Amino acid sequence: MTLRNPKLWLAVPAIALIFVFMILPITNMIEMSFRTPGTTEPFGEEFTTMHYDRILGDGYYWGVLFRSLFTAGVVTLLCLVVSYPIAWHMSKAKGLKAVFLYACIASPLMTGVLVRNFGWMIVAALNGPLNDVLLGLGIIERPLRLLFTQGLVILALVHVFVPFMVLPINNALRNINPSLIEASASMGANRREVFRDIILPLSFPGIYPGMILVYVLAVAAYVTPALLGGQMVSYMPTLIIGELTGTFQWPFGSALAIVLSVSTILVVALFTALTAKLMERSKA
Amino acid sequence: MATVEVRDLRKRYQDFLALDGVSLRAETGQLVTLLGPSGCGKSTTLRCLAGFLEPNGGDILVEGESILSTPANRRGFGVVFQNYALFPHMTVAENIGYGLKLQKLPKGEIETRVYDVMKLVRLDGLGDRLPREISGGQQQRVALARALVLKPRLLLLDEPLANLDARLRDEVRWLIRDLQQQSGITAFYVTHDQSEAMAMSDMVAVMKAGRVAQFATPREIYQKPVERYVADFTGEANFLSCDEVAVTGEGRYSIAVAGTTLDLGGVAGITSDTPVELLLRPEALRLTSVDEATFRGTVTKSAFLGAALHCEITLPGGGVLKLSAEPNANVRTGDEVGIAIDHSHAWLMPEVAP
Ligand SMILES: Nc1ncnc2c1ncn2[C@@H]1O[C@H](COP(=O)(O)OP(=O)(O)O)[C@@H](O)[C@H]1O
Ligand SMILES: [Mg+2]
Repeated sequence: MTLRNPKLWLAVPAIALIFVFMILPITNMIEMSFRTPGTTEPFGEEFTTMHYDRILGDGYYWGVLFRSLFTAGVVTLLCLVVSYPIAWHMSKAKGLKAVFLYACIASPLMTGVLVRNFGWMIVAALNGPLNDVLLGLGIIERPLRLLFTQGLVILALVHVFVPFMVLPINNALRNINPSLIEASASMGANRREVFRDIILPLSFPGIYPGMILVYVLAVAAYVTPALLGGQMVSYMPTLIIGELTGTFQWPFGSALAIVLSVSTILVVALFTALTAKLMERSKA
Repeated sequence: MATVEVRDLRKRYQDFLALDGVSLRAETGQLVTLLGPSGCGKSTTLRCLAGFLEPNGGDILVEGESILSTPANRRGFGVVFQNYALFPHMTVAENIGYGLKLQKLPKGEIETRVYDVMKLVRLDGLGDRLPREISGGQQQRVALARALVLKPRLLLLDEPLANLDARLRDEVRWLIRDLQQQSGITAFYVTHDQSEAMAMSDMVAVMKAGRVAQFATPREIYQKPVERYVADFTGEANFLSCDEVAVTGEGRYSIAVAGTTLDLGGVAGITSDTPVELLLRPEALRLTSVDEATFRGTVTKSAFLGAALHCEITLPGGGVLKLSAEPNANVRTGDEVGIAIDHSHAWLMPEVAP
């Protein structure tokens, strides 16, 4: 490839866009995270590693980081478990039924993030419908305090991220040649074995992007933990926003953000490395 | 290894009747071909046998016992698919050994059996490749090996050669037939290629719109078809319509056709009212001098094909006969020629079987 290749010019707008909206701000943040705190400016003149020293030296931040990464992992796995059967049914649907299912799947995304979370607040309130149902069914004897718990945060995140998991898995399932399933049955595989040996590995090209997408989104989720998680438990995004807009500690906030990003990338890279062989084999 | 009997099988897709009473029988070790044009129900029949489809009526018996309530994974049949259906995420060896692994056989035994069958179908050394890393002909042999390694009671093959080029097709065709005969496995083989069906089969079932038009040996199908449809589908054929038909004996007739009278054999049960056709395969016809001829006609087309001279001769009544003449025969378009027929190769049959 040389610059004389006319096709390369077609990439210029994309490169410009990525440069202005991604490379520049990220470089800017990395730089800021190494600056001393400023009093009148967003950041001071000198360079320092003090913010990183502070984060890495303090068990509190390690704890919050771990909670963020771990909670996102739980959300991702629950999302996978919930989404797989939905994706399976969707992949079998044709015509109007398929359109209807697509609309249902996309429905969590059709509500604004604030409205959706306020909705959860009402649903999960002490005298809200969720408690009413549980009481009515006799599962509980007195209303549960559901609001401002980690469980509710996880539930709400799973709810909104399901489409990101269902759609790629549905796609991968549709790409599986049905005669493979018949072939394995003719070789003696029962339904469980067909699923374990054929369907599950061959849907991995859909599982993988779904999991990455949901994980990254869950790590970065701010509004849901902030509104539904209450003051008792902190996640990295709430902490970062607190530094940026609450105490105006931009360099420290940037350092927190960079730590979170790098950790997320490491998790994703680890997952990718562990599943590389499966991915290589199962992609069409 | 088993006798298989298909009895009056019916299958309906929504409001479309795909199988309308199919009956077949395969003795132990026989290869039975389902032959017919696309859409006549060959695959549907095979898929009912395999257990992938549940028929709406009829029965399938193996060794005299119905298998309809046995699910596909417990029938113990080997299936070879038109698109091979190899597991793309498994190597060649894993594909072939998958069924053995499901049986929880010891690893060593699996390896030996996979190795042996790979040798049998000449796949040595390809065990570690993925299906997408081998050629179409090799994929086809993996599909075959994968079915054979389980020593199935019955082998089902759905147009296994359709995706191969002509030269490979010939090679794999004989491989399949050899392996099937060596192992003595009963097999059902689906194809729409009449030469494949003729060459490989012990029995051929010619299918027509969800029914079996004729079920017989390849020779009988070719020489004594029960109706025009069967004759048409099983090779080059000339048809002449007959003016008068007289029954002269059991399956013997005397007919008036294109100005002459012929005594010949035909389908039993034809009466003078049955709309009939005279079947003359090209090899039953011979160019001859006008005096000795059964028919006389004008050459309307002649084409040199190398091994033979292809001629089309129009009879005075309007009928057309195609035949292969000796390559150096001196025949030109417009010539008056005579045609002699071999009576034993002439056959009278109804236009449509009753
Ligand atoms: N799943 C299905 N739904 C509806 N019609 C089908 C289905 N499968 C096959 N058919 C119809 O049944 C007929 C027989 O199909 P098939 O057995 O596949 O034919 P063949 O293998 O002889 O080409 C065809 O007309 C086909 O269109
Ligand atoms: Mg077919």
